[in-house]
Amino acid sequence: MIHRRAAGAKLAVAAVFLVTVATAHRHLLALSAGWLVVLVSGVLVAKLPVGGIVSRTAAVLPFSALFALFSWMEGFPQTALGLMVKSYLSALVVLLLVATTPLPELVRTLESARAPQFLLMVVQFLYRYIFVVVEEAVNMRTAAAMRGGLRFQAAAGALATLFARSYSRAEHIHRAMIARGFQGHFRSMATGTLAAGDVIFAFTAGALPLLVRTLGEVLL
Amino acid sequence: MHIPDGFLSTPVWAALDALALPATGLAARAAQRGFDESKAPLLGVMGAFIFAAQMINFPVGMGTSGHLVGGALLACTLGPAPASVVMTAIVAIQAFVFQDGGVLALGPNVLNMAIAGVLAGYLPYHLWGGGRFRRAAIFAGGVLSVISSAVLALAELLLSGVRMPRPVLGVSLTLFAVSALLEGAITVAVIAALERIQPGFVRQPARAPSMLLGGLGLCAVMLAAGGLVFASTAPDGIEQLAMRAGIAKPLAAYGNGAGIAGVGLVFVLLLAGGRMARRRSA
Repeated sequence: MIHRRAAGAKLAVAAVFLVTVATAHRHLLALSAGWLVVLVSGVLVAKLPVGGIVSRTAAVLPFSALFALFSWMEGFPQTALGLMVKSYLSALVVLLLVATTPLPELVRTLESARAPQFLLMVVQFLYRYIFVVVEEAVNMRTAAAMRGGLRFQAAAGALATLFARSYSRAEHIHRAMIARGFQGHFRSMATGTLAAGDVIFAFTAGALPLLVRTLGEVLL
Repeated sequence: MHIPDGFLSTPVWAALDALALPATGLAARAAQRGFDESKAPLLGVMGAFIFAAQMINFPVGMGTSGHLVGGALLACTLGPAPASVVMTAIVAIQAFVFQDGGVLALGPNVLNMAIAGVLAGYLPYHLWGGGRFRRAAIFAGGVLSVISSAVLALAELLLSGVRMPRPVLGVSLTLFAVSALLEGAITVAVIAALERIQPGFVRQPARAPSMLLGGLGLCAVMLAAGGLVFASTAPDGIEQLAMRAGIAKPLAAYGNGAGIAGVGLVFVLLLAGGRMARRRSA
């Protein structure tokens, strides 16, 4: 259900959520419980695997925990708590957004919001070729390990080779694209208009984090 | 170091996001001017290369190893503006796809790594890359790029009120210094290897400008980096006086936002002054 909504509506809701979480100061623990309920029900409504999402988001926790420990040692337990819950909830918001929205749609929305088109094209090419080039690097690493590992200079040589290969791969890609009529920008079939459902979704879902915060601050 | 959401105080992330928007726009436009627009595939694939470079470990003895960060290497090969576009794309992908770094903190992270990191990495090469001190310039670029992004990130955290015990601060600064030296060494080695494969990969910097200008530029970078950490850890004279007189509250309330606004104002004034000076000399 969340998957089908327009990327722009989801982006707006995510932005409201992030800002609401980031600017909260009082009753953090109670508010976070409320936000967590909202987010987990979002994950359930979107029919995403709850366990997978919740545990993948926990990847931010080691970093936050380290800084939370520092704050706690300095005698600021409130700051420590804030670091942990805010970083976790924000990561959950972003993961929910990305898990329900294909990257091309997200990029198209940013494009209509007048983000630099050139940058967005680079982002798309980057996303497309990350795993191709990473796999090449992993193969090189395996090959090096079979021969007894890389010394410093040899590792530099391997990186230079990887650089040269990536460069020539990019030139091949570019030539192939020109041969197929590429004129320097992507075209898309999407109209980018918001349906009534998207507007309703944006307002109701966007109101939820604000509602949790207002309720929390009034009641507590 | 990618700052996650929830670490920076609202004035800090809001101000830096507002600063990052025009900065990335400028970088994108400059990159497009130097490059053909249809070169977007090149920059994208080189970004993927920087990701992949993390798979190749550089052994540095005692069982530890490091890997390339890449700001200075990209700046010396693609040029500063395209390099900062590539790094911006990397930071954005890491924030959205890999949950490494926050989305509200995207502006600060982009400024630290893609703008400051790349420009500081290119500065020594731009100044002395053509002369006798070429290798030293490349090395200094690698060092400066890591140091400046790490110190900026640290300063932003401290400005936001993230507390760190003094010894931890010292240890992390030492770690930054070590990884910065490593980045310098890796950048030099990779660029030497690239030139053996094909010299055309590495840009030739324009004719070397004066030593004085270079020295001034480097001093400014070091002063800014050192000053930021110092300023954000030690309260200055006025604040101390205010604390002693018991009027710390009102000052503290406007401290962060006003400080950043002041820095922004000085930056804009200097930029305008530089533009006018250039127009007069042209």
